[in-house]
Amino acid sequence: MDKAALLKEKVQNGFIVEGLEDMNEEYLNALKQTLLIVGDTELLSIPPLLTVYDQAPTLNSKITALAIMQDEIGHAHIAYRLLKDLGEDVDDLLYNREPHRWKNPYAFDFELSNWIEFGVFNAFFDRAGYTLLGDAFEHTSYGPWKRALVKVDKEELFHLRNGEVIMRTAMQDPELREEVQKAVDWMFLMALEFFGVADGLKSRSAQLEYRLKGRTNDELRQKWLSTAVPFCESIGVKVPAHYDEQQQKYVLDVPFPCKFDPVNKKWLFDQPDTWENVIKRFKQRGPKNKQFVERIQKGAKELEQLRKEVV
Amino acid sequence: MEKVSTDTQKYWEALKEVMDPEFPISVVDMGLIYDIKKNGDEIDITMTYTAVSCACMEWIESDIKKRLLEEEEVKTVNINVVWDPPWTVDRLSPEGREKLKYWGVSAR
Repeated sequence: MDKAALLKEKVQNGFIVEGLEDMNEEYLNALKQTLLIVGDTELLSIPPLLTVYDQAPTLNSKITALAIMQDEIGHAHIAYRLLKDLGEDVDDLLYNREPHRWKNPYAFDFELSNWIEFGVFNAFFDRAGYTLLGDAFEHTSYGPWKRALVKVDKEELFHLRNGEVIMRTAMQDPELREEVQKAVDWMFLMALEFFGVADGLKSRSAQLEYRLKGRTNDELRQKWLSTAVPFCESIGVKVPAHYDEQQQKYVLDVPFPCKFDPVNKKWLFDQPDTWENVIKRFKQRGPKNKQFVERIQKGAKELEQLRKEVV
Repeated sequence: MEKVSTDTQKYWEALKEVMDPEFPISVVDMGLIYDIKKNGDEIDITMTYTAVSCACMEWIESDIKKRLLEEEEVKTVNINVVWDPPWTVDRLSPEGREKLKYWGVSAR
């Protein structure tokens, strides 16, 4: 049995990888790629949240929003710290990487329109994070990451509950009710896109074979739907999905994947799309990608400039 | 005037269902609830938070009210937040302490 096959068999049987000496190169690369996506996603969730942070209706909800953003920075720090331990130059990754090379989801390349969208962001996107990282916490073969996720799991739960509180409260006000629906209309499918291409289109996944995660993309999508749909139904928000008794799973009532109009933040349901095109859209990036990454890098660049002037 | 009832055990039990927003520990096991009094159809809660900068005060208060109002005889819930005595980890119940330990959070 070759080394890769042996490692795959070991991790499938519960072996926990602790350090570089336990890995092969393929494992290391898949792990680094995964952690980079996680770190970038955590960190770049903050710029969109900041676009409406000053619209928090009360001082205490503003403090809650700040606590959430602080958590996200902490989660990003964990992922980057793990990357550092694996030999990556984190300063270079953070401050010298061009905006289009960041790995955050497409949904984070947009400004939010109002406080309600802050809530839906928490309720949908943090739920996606909670689903993905919850799976990693449960299944990952990489020990240092598994241990770090204990705290992350709990904090993401707090974020998604905050989103639910904002949505539930807003649904009691006739004007805000419409805003909730409008936010859900563009953010629901965005959240489903977090989980990546459909299982049938993937020939193999190093992430699954090396047990960096446990569930497939479609399984994770179902898991997200299994809590998001009942929650939305319980507060009276319409969502384009329902549980199909015959198939014993959630099915979508609109084409997915589907073309998206980034200017008007609207799904073009009369234009079904392919995953291939969706990936192209991801790579083209959303409207605020450059601005948001530059915001993260601004302080470091300014300090670097000052240092040059002093010398 | 109705007599102030001292039998508030059921409300303590009810509040054991109101969870801290992050950890699955109730506000009772966290030691946030100092006193519960029943006065007719009103419940008076005296409570504190772990910090004056607690990010979830309104949220927790709304969860507490929502849960107590599920009790048929309760019509009003008044919450009085106090900072004296201040909350310390000593106020955690043994159950709360065990749960925090499980999640890797120091309770000392």
